[in-house]
Amino acid sequence: MARPAVIEQPEKRILAALNLRFRSFRTRVLVFIVGLLVVTQAGVFVVVNTANINNARRVIDQALVVAASVFEREIADRQRELLLAARLLSNDFAFKEAYATHDHATVLSALQNHQERIGADVMILVSTDGRVIADTLNPRASGTVCAFPQLIDEAEHSEYGEASDIVFVNDSPYQMVVVPLYLPEPDAWVSIGFRIDNTFVANLQKTTLSHVSLIRSDSGTPGSVFASTLPSSSGAHLPDALSSTSWEIGQSTEFALDNETYVSLVTSLIDTPANQVVAVLQRPLKEALKPYLRLRVVLAGLFAVGIALSVIGAALIARTVTRPVLKLAAGARRIAEGDYKQTVELSQQDEIGVLANTFNHMGRGLAERDRVRDLLGKVVSPEIAEELLAKDIELGGEEREVSILFSDVRDFTGLCENRSPQQILELLNAYLTKVSAVVEANGGVVDKYVGDCMMALYGVPLEHDGDADRAVNTALGMCEQLKGLNEDFERRGWPRLRIGVGINTAQVVVGNMGSTTRMNYTVIGDGVNLASRLESLSKNYDVAIVVSAATKAAAPRFVYRELDLVRVMGKTKKVAIYQPLGHWNRLGDDVMLELEDYHAALSAYRARKWDTARSRFSSLSSKAPACLLYQVYLKRLERFSSDPPGPDWDGVFTYTEK
Amino acid sequence: MTLSRLGFILLLAGGSHAGGASGLTVTVMDDKSRPVEGAVVIARPADDVKVRPVTSELATIDQKGKEFIPHVSPIRAGTKVQFPNSDNIRHHVYSFSSAKKFEIPLYKGTPAKPIVFDKPGVVVLGCNIHDWMTAYVYVSDVPYLAVTEKDGTTTIKELPTGTYKVEVWHPQMRGTPTPRRHQVSLNPTGPQKVVFSIKQKKAWRARRLSSNLRRGY
Repeated sequence: MARPAVIEQPEKRILAALNLRFRSFRTRVLVFIVGLLVVTQAGVFVVVNTANINNARRVIDQALVVAASVFEREIADRQRELLLAARLLSNDFAFKEAYATHDHATVLSALQNHQERIGADVMILVSTDGRVIADTLNPRASGTVCAFPQLIDEAEHSEYGEASDIVFVNDSPYQMVVVPLYLPEPDAWVSIGFRIDNTFVANLQKTTLSHVSLIRSDSGTPGSVFASTLPSSSGAHLPDALSSTSWEIGQSTEFALDNETYVSLVTSLIDTPANQVVAVLQRPLKEALKPYLRLRVVLAGLFAVGIALSVIGAALIARTVTRPVLKLAAGARRIAEGDYKQTVELSQQDEIGVLANTFNHMGRGLAERDRVRDLLGKVVSPEIAEELLAKDIELGGEEREVSILFSDVRDFTGLCENRSPQQILELLNAYLTKVSAVVEANGGVVDKYVGDCMMALYGVPLEHDGDADRAVNTALGMCEQLKGLNEDFERRGWPRLRIGVGINTAQVVVGNMGSTTRMNYTVIGDGVNLASRLESLSKNYDVAIVVSAATKAAAPRFVYRELDLVRVMGKTKKVAIYQPLGHWNRLGDDVMLELEDYHAALSAYRARKWDTARSRFSSLSSKAPACLLYQVYLKRLERFSSDPPGPDWDGVFTYTEK
Repeated sequence: MTLSRLGFILLLAGGSHAGGASGLTVTVMDDKSRPVEGAVVIARPADDVKVRPVTSELATIDQKGKEFIPHVSPIRAGTKVQFPNSDNIRHHVYSFSSAKKFEIPLYKGTPAKPIVFDKPGVVVLGCNIHDWMTAYVYVSDVPYLAVTEKDGTTTIKELPTGTYKVEVWHPQMRGTPTPRRHQVSLNPTGPQKVVFSIKQKKAWRARRLSSNLRRGY
């Protein structure tokens, strides 16, 4: 199993490297555009280059074919010119007269004279039986056998007794013509020749624009070059080069000669059993390719410029994308960090510009929503704000067990007297901030403020363990906090505040209430009203906190003093009301003893033992004269003494006002 | 050919042999049995009697249409030949032949003096300004000769009875004729007939017209 892993790894690494290399958008654009350009340009280059070289070869081939025909024409023209000159000379009467003398010296001299007239290289007079009469090349020769009997023979068998060809005299090639010497009957052969040498081929080169080499071959194999326009060393190597190449008469072939490639065409000049002479016409391939090589340089230059321009262009275009994208990314990062204020400014009008606009809109939208959420958290409470934001807001609710806390500043109306609204607001805000903090610290939710009154809920929107406990703890905490607040108020010259708190725990309806366009998340039900009543009752007993029996039962961790059994206004049900004194394990023994005495007094009261109750309350009141609760009961007992309640009295005190 | 015959008649008129009127008909064919025109046939008496050159005989070779007429003229040695020019241009008659070298430079009409051909042999005539103009004068030391007509045949008339060696000559004749010569015995009973077969050289000569120069263009 280890082996495949080893094999896989390099591949993975390569892939990873490629991925890394092409991760940047700019690189990808660059690689793609440059790659595309390179592929197309290279393709074009290869095609054009191949076509050009092929074309150059074709052009050179055609040129050689033309050169060959020009060459053949040139040779034919020269022969005809030579023939015309020979005819004129042979019919010259003075020459005939000189010949008729049969004096060798005279005849030779006349030949030399005629040779000079037309600038020929040789002039030979041959008898009808093929013997030399006079020869300008060999002045002493006479009666020897002619060097070119085939040519004489050819002339003899021709229509007009004329023949012309290339012949070798003393191993030197001559373009020779033979015409009869009419006396007036043909009496001898006049032959006139031009030597074929480098000057001859140089002239041919001028008209054919090709190198011309003449080769005498022996039975098919190229022998020696006897005239050539090639450099002498190349000329010397030509027969070898030719014999190692396959060639055909009239077909162009390509071979190297002294490190220079020539396109060559072989054409036959003489093809008799005795003599074979071929002309090799050649053009250097390099020369024909020269314009194409120049074109190739231009193409390469264009290619380089194209690559450079496309690299720059691709980089610039890529940058118009990557730069704003990076800007947008930075903007998005800022938004993720909570900074909605900064916008991404792009001057572009293209798709990226549209994206930037949308992005800025989104930022503004997010900022708006955040502000709304923030505001909502302040207006309602963070928890309710969350609850509202999490769900679709619609009217309606559900029944839940909730502990409802009402708090109120006692005699707030009196406090407001002689104070500016500004001052009152300042005071109220300070107070509400303090108590709200206690609510939140205990996991409660401030439902609303109504003037100095605050309503807080426990158990909505989220249920916690011991929601009632939290509510009671909040009330105790508020009283505690108020001490510090009052000290602060005193320092500022503000009045001390006294508060009343009522708590009830009950099944109520929780949800959005109001109209379809305007609604509150709140609780509603009898339990809520009771809590409000309890808060109102507190001042009757001169206690800060009043809780219902239901709350006491739900919050067992506290020590309670039973205040009374009441029937509040508008309600028929009797309610036991209690004052929480504190956490059961934090209260002193004296408090517990006093509580016992009180509960004993209350029991006597309920049992109609008026005297016992009176003595007990009196005793308690004497110990704590400031406690108004004992006074309340003492007052009731005093009234009962003169006006005792009916036999149906159940110990309940009925309130007829709020 | 009338002129030729005229010359022939003149020759016969000058004949020294008296008596006998046998004719010798000679036909000259080429190797493909085609009649050969313009061949000179000569009947040489077998006794090889030398005949004195004539001095009074006259022959004419005309120049008409830039040609010599006749093309072949058999004459006896010593004959005066007149070269009248019937063309309206000048001609320049010449000969480089060893039998008679002469030249009549450019002239019109009939030259004042005829040319005397006194040596036997073949004289080739040319015109210096017209390369193609050629004519042959066969100068004979015997009086019995004639030239073949289109049908390759000619008759040597008025031959005295006797034995002759008959020979043939033609300007383009190549090699020796078959047979080389005929031995003919003539008697008054009737005419004799002989046939020669000759081979001919390729019969080319200088071009007649300038248009021929355009050959090859």
